[in-house]
Amino acid sequence: MFFHVSLDHEILLHPRYFGPQLLKTVRRMLFKEVEGKCIGKYGYVIAVTSLETIGVGKIQPGRGYVIFPVKYHAIVFRPFKHEVVEAIVTQVTKMGIFCKIGPLTCFISRHSIPRDMEYDPSANPPCYKKKDDDSMIQPDDGIRVKIAGLQVDANEFFAVGTLMDDYLLS
Amino acid sequence: MADDGDYDDGGDMGMDDDMDEDEYNDEDQDLDGEQNTQSGGQQTQGDERMEILNEDDLGGGQPGMRTDPSKRITTPYMTKYERARVLGTRALQIAMCAPLMVEPDGETDPLQIAMRELKEKKIPMIIRRYLPDGSFEDWSIDELIITD
Repeated sequence: MFFHVSLDHEILLHPRYFGPQLLKTVRRMLFKEVEGKCIGKYGYVIAVTSLETIGVGKIQPGRGYVIFPVKYHAIVFRPFKHEVVEAIVTQVTKMGIFCKIGPLTCFISRHSIPRDMEYDPSANPPCYKKKDDDSMIQPDDGIRVKIAGLQVDANEFFAVGTLMDDYLLS
Repeated sequence: MADDGDYDDGGDMGMDDDMDEDEYNDEDQDLDGEQNTQSGGQQTQGDERMEILNEDDLGGGQPGMRTDPSKRITTPYMTKYERARVLGTRALQIAMCAPLMVEPDGETDPLQIAMRELKEKKIPMIIRRYLPDGSFEDWSIDELIITD
């Protein structure tokens, strides 16, 4: 699910960036340091929409560096258990399917794939195929997945998905 | 291992809190300083103080512990300890390629350049003086009287 949240971040600035362009540099470094990163509690930061404040910098004693506290608004992507999402298949193996939900990697075990889908190792590329009709899953296909489990690390998410539910698969 | 790390972190935090003075780098300082020298009035200085206060309030921290600029009680003179720390910090920054606030006029020693900046009150820092009750006063360098 996507959220628009208010977050804060601290920018450590080298003295060479002081001067008239200072605020611009802080802004640029915020974008570089935050966008695309994953924050355990809030999920993946997709984009910074606006800067609320750039606080007064604090000099690091003995180092010459300055820390600027920045408050900003960002769009974040936070996956949840039982959420249904669209995904793109990246890899098909006999254990199951790996797919990407944007930045999030998701694994679908073959036990979570409907029984009538059979692994076909002879096809190129390997795929899961239905016996009675032509529908199949191969790399680069878009599929609809339900997130069955979610592992949250400090700066990464890993999801386990399932296809055993109504209206999933395609 | 983990205990050691925690202990160290705690110790550092304590050190920061116990600091008698902390310099602040204020990004708008240079602009304001130039305005001051152009108009040269007390009025603009008052405005500038207001601006810093607003900024600090917006910037978070503990604004409640900050003494109002008109109610400050510590000396308006820069102490020799503040002078030493400001010069040291500024010289370090200059040595790390920070842009200069004065014309160097052939001077190459970072400490000498820092001294010249201090003489012209062009160092873009704010000194935070902590009092024993934990409150603090912010003094920008161009407000302080510098002897010798």
